[in-house]
Amino acid sequence: MNINELIFRNLKKNLKNYYLYVFALIFSAALYFAFVTLQYDPSMDQTKGSIKGAAAIRTASILLVAIVSIFLLYANSIFIKRRSKEIGLFQLIGMTKSKIFRILSMENFILYFGSLMVGIFLGFSVSKLIIMILFKITGVEAIATLQFSVQALIQTLVVFGVIYCFIMLMNYAFIKRQTILSLFRTISMTEGKVKKVSFLEMFIGITGLILIIIGYYLSSKLFEGDFTTMNELFLVMTIILASVIIGTYLLYKGSVRFILNIIRKQKNGYLNINEVLSLSSIMFRMKSNALLLTIITVVSALAIGLLSLSYISYYSAEKMAENYVPNDFSFANQKDAVQFKEALQANKMKFSEKIVDVIQVDVNIKQILETGLEGMNFDPNVMTLPVISDQDVKDIDLSATEVLFSGFSDLLQKFMSLKDSGPIELKGQHEIIPQNYIGLNKDTIVSTYFTNGGLPTAIVDKTVYKRLKHDINPDIQKESTIYIGIDMKDSATIEKANEIFQKMKFSDNRENDSRLETSNNQKQNMGLIMFIVGFLGLTFLITSGCILYFKQMDESEDEKPNYTILRKLGFTEGDLLKGIQAKQIFNFGIPLVIGLFHSYFAVQSGWFLFGSEVWTPMIIVMVLYTALYSIFGILSVFYYKKVIKDAL
Amino acid sequence: MHILEAVKIHKSYGTKFNKQEVLKGVDIRIQQGEFVSIMGASGSGKTTLLNVLSSIDKISNGTIKIEGKEISSMKEKQLAEFRKHHLGFIFQEYNLLDTLTVKENILLPLSITKTPKKEAEQKFTTLAKELGIYELKDKYPNEISGGQKQRTSAARAFIHEPSIIFADEPTGALDSKSASDLLNKLSELNQTRKATIIMVTHDPVAASYCSRVIFIKDGQIYTQLNKGEETRQTFFHDIMRTQGVLGGVQHEHQ
Ligand SMILES: Nc1ncnc2c1ncn2[C@@H]1O[C@H](COP(=O)(O)OP(=O)(O)OP(=O)(O)O)[C@@H](O)[C@H]1O
Ligand SMILES: [Mg+2]
Repeated sequence: MNINELIFRNLKKNLKNYYLYVFALIFSAALYFAFVTLQYDPSMDQTKGSIKGAAAIRTASILLVAIVSIFLLYANSIFIKRRSKEIGLFQLIGMTKSKIFRILSMENFILYFGSLMVGIFLGFSVSKLIIMILFKITGVEAIATLQFSVQALIQTLVVFGVIYCFIMLMNYAFIKRQTILSLFRTISMTEGKVKKVSFLEMFIGITGLILIIIGYYLSSKLFEGDFTTMNELFLVMTIILASVIIGTYLLYKGSVRFILNIIRKQKNGYLNINEVLSLSSIMFRMKSNALLLTIITVVSALAIGLLSLSYISYYSAEKMAENYVPNDFSFANQKDAVQFKEALQANKMKFSEKIVDVIQVDVNIKQILETGLEGMNFDPNVMTLPVISDQDVKDIDLSATEVLFSGFSDLLQKFMSLKDSGPIELKGQHEIIPQNYIGLNKDTIVSTYFTNGGLPTAIVDKTVYKRLKHDINPDIQKESTIYIGIDMKDSATIEKANEIFQKMKFSDNRENDSRLETSNNQKQNMGLIMFIVGFLGLTFLITSGCILYFKQMDESEDEKPNYTILRKLGFTEGDLLKGIQAKQIFNFGIPLVIGLFHSYFAVQSGWFLFGSEVWTPMIIVMVLYTALYSIFGILSVFYYKKVIKDAL
Repeated sequence: MHILEAVKIHKSYGTKFNKQEVLKGVDIRIQQGEFVSIMGASGSGKTTLLNVLSSIDKISNGTIKIEGKEISSMKEKQLAEFRKHHLGFIFQEYNLLDTLTVKENILLPLSITKTPKKEAEQKFTTLAKELGIYELKDKYPNEISGGQKQRTSAARAFIHEPSIIFADEPTGALDSKSASDLLNKLSELNQTRKATIIMVTHDPVAASYCSRVIFIKDGQIYTQLNKGEETRQTFFHDIMRTQGVLGGVQHEHQ
């Protein structure tokens, strides 16, 4: 029999063994190709261009490559393990390792690139569906037409070609490492001994726990103002990530094993059927479990965290728009405002108007700052703030020495928290007016045009305002000093008014704004990010679910003889299934719970950078994730059920 | 009273078109408290017979009654219940759980019957010491030898003191000392507890411990030998002679 014949016979005989691997391949290829097709599609330019999402898409595609590689390498590792016996046999009949490697590589090549082609075809078919979903989210009205992109094809082939090389390397290392004996034995090697309850293990576990707690603690401090320079922030984020990931691994490796060990020790050899199927089986594979559980936990946490954050921003888009545009329509350009009002009147739409006189003044706020501002582009001695008179604000009347701040974004507050009160100085061209800062109001009064993107507005007494206005510093003034806010009387007419606003083609330097438009833009921006993150999140979910599921399939095949024995001894299928359920609650539940914890702390540390609502969107995401993830757990139980049934 | 009664049992493997009939109408009656061994050439259907008698495998035709109850028509769940409480097995392929230590493997049947822990511990210690595997109690099956596995498997079959023990070549991987220890243990269980034992073996020495030997050939009962009042020595020679007539398998495992 020559080599080619051997390859084909092997391929045919092993086809049943291969289906997991083939599935993993097709799935990954389809996913990746669909994503890359979108990346290169001209119809994406509108969404990409409007928010420079190209960078986001590129980052996402790198992450995709990473997760796909992990997935394929894992699938391959199971696969080669399954065939270790066969490899051992080849060796036994005198084949050299390099010859075996060549056979495996050829065989793998046919399979790999065959599946890749199928995957690419599938990916192309679903990409149209995906782009339609994207357009729906971002509100882009375009017809999804997709061309087969040669560029996408080449990129996919290159990426998967590289992964193939890695797989070959892995197989090569595997074959090189094994002796005939160990090849026969891989399947039944124990990874966890019950003998030693080691102090070291306990120590490792506790270290892991401490690392996680440190990570959580740092994350809660991350934006509290303790770390203010960008370099510090970046460093701390890296530390958090590292300590949580390493901590998780050590936790699994040390304490889970330690606790299981104690439980098992206590049983003193007297295990009931549930414990036989869960406890001992988990411990038997503890080493590979620790790594795998860590990967799953981190990937889940990442997915939940990202999905939560992006959903938070989508969810809060309207709130943000209110922050930027305090009225339905805001104008800094009086001519434009007049035009717009005329147009509204011509359409018989009722509205109310608010006019606020705004000047820019340098303010020294050093005394009321809680923290320093190192690393930010602000000098606390001369911060340029918009100033208005208390006359223009309803329900506020200040004395000649008082200043009230109003409208402050969450983000700014995190970086620049202010004391409750204290002395500040308003600097005119010639004179400096010392004042008493008396507090901070939440409402925004003038638009971002005046607030320099979210700084507070200072409200002063009308006499002080007059003095400031006479002593104005012309260098820092905006072109306009009048804010005009227009609110529609009937909220049902806002949409129509917005259409008129858009048609009038005002200049684009943020003088004038429509709140609805801002909110929509916000959604559109976030929509693409949310879509990308959602795509990644779902991919992470599916791959981590699949990896766990594969692992369970693999385990169940390994343990099939055990089920046979147990059933011979008189345990029913139901008895066995109960034990399996306990095991699956551990295998799927623990990474999920710890992943939820991780993502909870991650979201808590930085949600305010993304939006103004946190609980509702976060909980929705978490519940949905848990539900989808559980499907894999349930599927695996069904698979076990089948294996147990076939066992006798 | 017959504890086990099999009438005209047939068993065939394979598909309709490619059928291999392994048991061709076997009749067996076994009394309460008997120690019976089954002998025959390799591939003659001994393991198959044991499997169907012990309800692990289904017969194609015929009836099997244990304690008067027809098991060939029992539900899977009832059968499992029955096996758990009344049967003990020593399998040809040892059949130990590789995820459990020796001790955990042995104690498995006791956890079903909810035996108190202390009693279980005591039973284990005595039995394991008798079979010479006490020192191995915390090892995993892949860390012990074939003979040690076999003794572990035997300990598991005995520990819950079942009323019928099925043993498939229980001494196949043992040296003569361990083998006679195990056989003595079986005899003791048979005499003191009145446990019924059905054992498959190739070894005439092992068979001579029994009260009756059944010879199988080509899926049918060829002949039977009763020990009666004979000594073990003369019974051994009878067995040897019959085996010789049956066709040379006597030295297959030596
Ligand atoms: N699951 C099976 N499927 C098909 N044929 C089987 C199966 N099990 C056993 N056989 C066939 O039935 C016949 C009897 O097998 P069995 O295992 O009962 O032999 P045995 O007498 O126990 O032999 P040994 O002394 O070698 O253990 C053999 O020819 C075997 O090939
Ligand atoms: Mg046999």
